[in-house]
Amino acid sequence: MATPSNVIHVPEPEPGSYNQNRAAGKLLQSQTLHLREALIQHLNDLVSVLAIDPRSLKTEGDVSGYVKKATAILHTHAAVSSGK
Amino acid sequence: MTTGLNNLKHIVVLMMENRSFDHMLGGLSLVVENGEKKYHKINGLTGDESNPDTAGNVVKVQPNARFQSQLDPDPDHHFPGVDLQVFGGTLPGPGRVANMQGFVKDYFTQTNDVKRSHNIMSYFTPDKLPVLSALTTQFAVFNGWFASIPGPTICNRAFAHYGTSFGQVGMDIFYILDPIPSMYERMTQAGHTAKIYYYDQQSSTMEVVNLLKNQPEIFGSYSQFIADCQNNTLPEYSFIEPCYNDHLGPGGGEILASDQHPDHNVQEGEQFIARVYNAIRTNPTLWESTVLLIVYDEHGGIYDHVPPPICTPDGYSAKPADTGTGEAFNFDRLGVRVPAVLVSPYIPKGTVVPGTEDAANGRAFEHACIPATVTNFFLKGDAKRTIREKNANTFLDLLSDQKRSDGDIPYFKLRGN
Repeated sequence: MATPSNVIHVPEPEPGSYNQNRAAGKLLQSQTLHLREALIQHLNDLVSVLAIDPRSLKTEGDVSGYVKKATAILHTHAAVSSGK
Repeated sequence: MTTGLNNLKHIVVLMMENRSFDHMLGGLSLVVENGEKKYHKINGLTGDESNPDTAGNVVKVQPNARFQSQLDPDPDHHFPGVDLQVFGGTLPGPGRVANMQGFVKDYFTQTNDVKRSHNIMSYFTPDKLPVLSALTTQFAVFNGWFASIPGPTICNRAFAHYGTSFGQVGMDIFYILDPIPSMYERMTQAGHTAKIYYYDQQSSTMEVVNLLKNQPEIFGSYSQFIADCQNNTLPEYSFIEPCYNDHLGPGGGEILASDQHPDHNVQEGEQFIARVYNAIRTNPTLWESTVLLIVYDEHGGIYDHVPPPICTPDGYSAKPADTGTGEAFNFDRLGVRVPAVLVSPYIPKGTVVPGTEDAANGRAFEHACIPATVTNFFLKGDAKRTIREKNANTFLDLLSDQKRSDGDIPYFKLRGN
């Protein structure tokens, strides 16, 4: 329970602290490179699935393998897009 | 087993960015009450610690740390720079001693300004950091928690997730070829729950290439963390990432970086730590069953007075070309000391975990202690992991039988709550 004796007030940053124009440091630049690499991996997965012609899938086993790969990619994409 | 351990259901880790122990907490050792040092067990500053500058002056630590605009340009914290900071400029070779005398010299290489290079010796007085200071003095602080590597962010954060950086000492993209699963894979594959909560999509995660492929199973946002705390749906293990950049929110409001990485605003980081703490603290069920570790990934090039100790190697070696020092690194010593605070109602007030200053009882901690603790507690140690992690100290022994009364425990008052 918060009582006057155990409440600690936390100061806010001064107005004007926000600076979207601050130069991005090495960490943030590195983050973008890592994300780009992750995107390439994602793209490679996508390309490998798109390379399959659905008309070539003859059996339920063929179809289920395709559906699994496609759904996994779409699921991931949807999750990232919606911020889940 | 203690009552605190019996009641434990959740381990939450909040990893901040790039501040040293002395910079954030060293001032606590100088607090005097009734003529005596109030926090004498904390291995902080005496006020006499110093470094030489490039002009031959002796530069003492100064209680003049500012929330922003003081450590710009960003202090060097890559492997060769940290080597200079720790060894004072003595080149790699047998018998050299870590003396922590190269911080000012190294910051001069960034600033090219002797006066500005002195800023690296700055520290905060406790009143400037009411959140971190309160948690440190009210719960448990580690005198000897070190970065896992004398290097930058990505490789140090890897230790928190895998117990190793797989031989990396820098920020490069790397792929994991060895069968050492991440903490999240270990947990989920064993039927347990685990999540990395990043702040939002504009901030995202620093654990990208190898873990992002596991979307969406192991990732959530900060707002989901808050909801999970309110709804009693928090996973057994949670790792929280602060906001890494200034950006506009969905409604156009200004969102400040809260990671405390120089030159981001330290007060915004205080706000973020307080919000994470309050989210747990204000749910009685969660509060009683959760331990929260607040730790920094590395020191960010900022002064600390404690020489990093040796450690169990993890079986990897970084080549001289990768270390940049002309010598290989066998992961046999730790990085610079960072703040680390453990929070639970079962931790006695004012607990100080001794570090390297106590030859008899001291324990050294580093980020491999995180997967070591989580794996030992939830998985009974059952996971493929490095010898380094297997030998790492764990920290749940700090939970006692006695639950502290609610009125004895701080609550942070922020805007909007």
